[in-house]
Amino acid sequence: MKKNDLYSKEETFFQSKNKIYSAQSVKQIVYSTDIRDFGQVAKSIPCQDACPAKTNIPGYIRAVFEKRYGRAYELNRSANILPGVLGRICARPCESSCRHGETDNGQSVGICHLKRSCADLKPSSHRIIEGLYTPTEKKVAVIGSGPAGLAAAHDLSILGHKVVIFEGMDKPGGMLMYGIPEFRLPRDLLMLEIQNILRLGIQLKTNTAIGSDISFAQLKKEYDAVVVATGCVSPRKFDIPGGNLENVYNGLDFMKAVNEGENPFVGDKVIVIGAGFTAVDCARSAIRLGALDVSINIRKTIEYMRIDETEKYEAQFEGIKTYSLIQPSRIIEDNNKVTGIEFQRTRMEKIDKPPYRVSIPIENSQFSVPTDSVIAALGQSPDMSIISKKPDGMDGVFAAGDFVTGSSDVISAIAGGRKCAGKIDEYLVGKKRKRTVVRLENHATTDRQRSYDFIGKVVMNTIDMEKRLSKSTREVETGYNEDQTHEEAKRCYLCNLKYEIDPLVCIYCSACIDVAPKDCIKMIGNIPVNPDGTYGIYEETDDWNQVLSIAIDNAECIRCGQCLAVCPMDCISVTKTELIEIDT
Amino acid sequence: MPENDHYVIIGNGPAGNHAAATLRQKDKDAKITIISDECVPYYYKPRLTDFIAGEIAKEDLMVNFQDVKDIRIRCGQAVKRIDPDSKLLFLQHMEKIEFSKLIIASGSRARVLPTMSGYADHLKFVTSYTDVMEYKEEIRKAENFFIFGGDLVGFKFFKMLNSMDKTVTIMIDPDAFWPYRLTRDMLEQISENLLKFNTEIIVKDEVLSIDRQNGSYRVKTRKGIEKNVDMVLSFNGLNPNIEFAKGSGIDIDYGILVDEYLKTNVDGIYACGSCAQIYNQAIKSYTTSIGWPNAVVQGEVAALNLLGDHKIIESVGQKYFDLEGVKIKTTWWEDINEDNDA
Ligand SMILES: Cc1cc2nc3c(=O)[nH]c(=O)nc-3n(C[C@H](O)[C@H](O)[C@H](O)COP(=O)(O)OP(=O)(O)OC[C@H]3O[C@@H](n4cnc5c(N)ncnc54)[C@H](O)[C@@H]3O)c2cc1C
Ligand SMILES: Cc1cc2nc3c(=O)[nH]c(=O)nc-3n(C[C@H](O)[C@H](O)[C@H](O)COP(=O)(O)OP(=O)(O)OC[C@H]3O[C@@H](n4cnc5c(N)ncnc54)[C@H](O)[C@@H]3O)c2cc1C
Ligand code: SF4
Ligand code: SF4
Ligand code: SF4
Repeated sequence: MKKNDLYSKEETFFQSKNKIYSAQSVKQIVYSTDIRDFGQVAKSIPCQDACPAKTNIPGYIRAVFEKRYGRAYELNRSANILPGVLGRICARPCESSCRHGETDNGQSVGICHLKRSCADLKPSSHRIIEGLYTPTEKKVAVIGSGPAGLAAAHDLSILGHKVVIFEGMDKPGGMLMYGIPEFRLPRDLLMLEIQNILRLGIQLKTNTAIGSDISFAQLKKEYDAVVVATGCVSPRKFDIPGGNLENVYNGLDFMKAVNEGENPFVGDKVIVIGAGFTAVDCARSAIRLGALDVSINIRKTIEYMRIDETEKYEAQFEGIKTYSLIQPSRIIEDNNKVTGIEFQRTRMEKIDKPPYRVSIPIENSQFSVPTDSVIAALGQSPDMSIISKKPDGMDGVFAAGDFVTGSSDVISAIAGGRKCAGKIDEYLVGKKRKRTVVRLENHATTDRQRSYDFIGKVVMNTIDMEKRLSKSTREVETGYNEDQTHEEAKRCYLCNLKYEIDPLVCIYCSACIDVAPKDCIKMIGNIPVNPDGTYGIYEETDDWNQVLSIAIDNAECIRCGQCLAVCPMDCISVTKTELIEIDT
Repeated sequence: MPENDHYVIIGNGPAGNHAAATLRQKDKDAKITIISDECVPYYYKPRLTDFIAGEIAKEDLMVNFQDVKDIRIRCGQAVKRIDPDSKLLFLQHMEKIEFSKLIIASGSRARVLPTMSGYADHLKFVTSYTDVMEYKEEIRKAENFFIFGGDLVGFKFFKMLNSMDKTVTIMIDPDAFWPYRLTRDMLEQISENLLKFNTEIIVKDEVLSIDRQNGSYRVKTRKGIEKNVDMVLSFNGLNPNIEFAKGSGIDIDYGILVDEYLKTNVDGIYACGSCAQIYNQAIKSYTTSIGWPNAVVQGEVAALNLLGDHKIIESVGQKYFDLEGVKIKTTWWEDINEDNDA
């Protein structure tokens, strides 16, 4: 079929469908608390389910498609507080779960880039929406102004509590300010989104470390509740001979120095150790400090690097090499100066408990390479010294973010901060004031065209190497323009639309199955129920005597609308499903 | 009654074919299938350059391999995913294939580095029969070439162009020799020896941009050299074809990780040839081997071990490869020409 035929066929179809449905266009909305509906939403919208903050991804991508960038920004902000920031540096667990990235479906949708587009393209007169509750006269102290602290402070403030944030550093933002380099996250944007939180009347006290400037006990006395959101600030020790020589840095200190505008010595050749965000940021920063030969060295295989593909790609683009299956054994020195590093080779082995695959050093496999500096980004752990016992909420002391989970990512910290705020609110007012429900709304059909499914992922615009090196803080990614944004938004299947067959009307003609592009419509013999009450995986059958129903598997369905177009009985319906928060 | 085994081999190169032949020799009853995404029977990759130069005919490209008997060869079918638990292969066209044991011999393809992304659309690669069929005429007609990278295949290609009296600019990048790296001395000596050819050599520079202008290409380098050429070819090393194994639970790094018996971390699944990253007890490290003779031997050893043997893979032909006067110690490349059947 020629492309044009495809378009015209679909367009006539949608028109005729609109007519049919126009009589029913009165909205039918149902709010459900049925566990099966929650299960269905989780299964059918994999991106949202993977997002720790449960951002309404198809909702905002649809708004972006409609060029309602302000609305898209607010849909984001209501879940994740810092859309412009996350649109640049989010760890993107959603994208690895996106249905578009499943086998045979192509590449995942650029969910994160589109989030950035909402922030970049929203009108300058954009208004932020906050649903403020009446003041409660309760006072909450938040220790730490990283994403977890900011998110907790935001939600508590909305709920009417008086919030003060105590921050040990000079500026707010935690690792957003002192960890992530400016070439990935411009500081004016970061400050703008932080200000939008503080505007709610939150007091921020910087240069005030709890434990040294103010005691924890004093906070407990003065406030009705305390949130410990101090992150993971103690770097894991680099415990090999020579680990404390000059020009051997720990990654976090190195990034802090870079982000405070210092130029730590790196020399020509830099060896970075570590497999996470910090390692890559250190390596990329070293390149900007003038190093000529920078490598990232990891113990396991490249598959286990805890960074997303874009980061890997950008590092390679900047000429950074990755050497896998090696671990450092000693630093070689001459007159107290680093001259080289000795590595030992490793191999992968299976163990019976998590993480199941580990790297183990191979005996007598040492080799050494020359280097001018070593940066060890081995991860960090929380500093427990300010508190006497693990916060459990019992005595008004709560905790959130990396402090609780260990080093994670910004979106998990935000989700943790928000969850924590909910618990504190319940503690302070004695009841749960908000709950999540599934909003179900009948939906005529989609105006998505099948041709959208074949659009390739739009590549992010970046600046060239010369520009990257000429000013080390210059942002590398420059965002999609409006046309690119629209094109990428077309790609989303809108998995929040649920396709269903009414088994009482269906005549089992299987016309839908014949046109389906996927194994999405199934003859099922049984629908098992999971222990938590949600539906399990459909059990299919070929035996007509056993067929319970023809059903659409929304975990396979790519919302192409083909089945709807051919069904002679009009027994396929579309429902828009959304998770929303309502007052109890 | 239990059904016969079904051994499946991914890849129709020397590794895959020699694995299949060995399996057939030792197990007369098993069902054996080779799956290849290329639409051509087993052929000599090393002879592709002679074919372009017009020195051999298409028929001479094909390997006349009598040992692959009763083996089903599925051409033009790409494997998309492996599920080791259910022992299923998922093909691109949605078909599932069950295997009892599997040998991955998917080879490698041209490496495109992220640094090349700005101009990758204008590059041509010579790594397969399909590439060559596509560009053969263009190469014959073109007069001016820009070659950059310059791995072993690249030098072979360069010599071919020279024999065809083409004008060639070659930019050598010591990193292109992945998985090995040229030292400064080697680089200098190679450049010096290349001077005997009608060629311009660029070293210690990078491609900045490539633009297409009325049918030809304008290559600019970082140091300001500009060249107008008819074709730009990239020879920046090879990358193992392993995408289909990602997320399957099979350990992968740059290639498929295997032990010295060519076994992956998953029972019943082996890998060999240039897609494999093989543990080498002698140097206590993993190595990737490209080159025809290694692929042949590895295919055979993988097959034997799959059938229960315990053969340790050893590199073939510890020898020095002569690269424009520089001896590169290699265990993985044979200077194969038309009178040297491997
Ligand atoms: C170099 C680097 C790059 C990263 N890149 C990414 C990325 O690209 N994407 C991503 O998702 N995640 C990334 N991360 C991880 C991410 O930044 C963290 O997971 C996240 O910031 C954790 O948030 P948090 O609020 O729990 O803690 P933090 O951000 O660590 O904030 C804790 C705050 O508490 C303050 N504090 C600590 N002790 C005290 C005290 N006693 N008194 C007062 N204040 C105190 C600290 O100064 C800090 O401001 C990166 C981390 C690093 C280090
Ligand atoms: C132009 C050129 C010249 C060369 N000259 C020499 C030389 O002179 N001497 C020398 O020793 N070596 C030479 N080589 C290298 C040599 O050809 C290779 O090392 C050798 O072919 C590797 O064999 P292999 O079986 O591992 O992989 P390959 O020969 O690459 O075969 C792998 C096969 O698997 C297929 N495949 C990959 N992915 C999939 C998938 N997902 N599904 C199905 N099938 C798949 C590929 O299409 C291919 O057919 C040359 C290579 C080239 C390109
Ligand atoms: S296609 Fe859209 S809605 Fe579906 S998983 Fe991907 S981003 Fe989410
Ligand atoms: S809309 Fe219908 S035909 Fe299309 S993928 Fe979903 S169930 Fe299948
Ligand atoms: S096309 Fe409609 S009537 Fe026919 S089997 Fe599908 S849902 Fe039932």
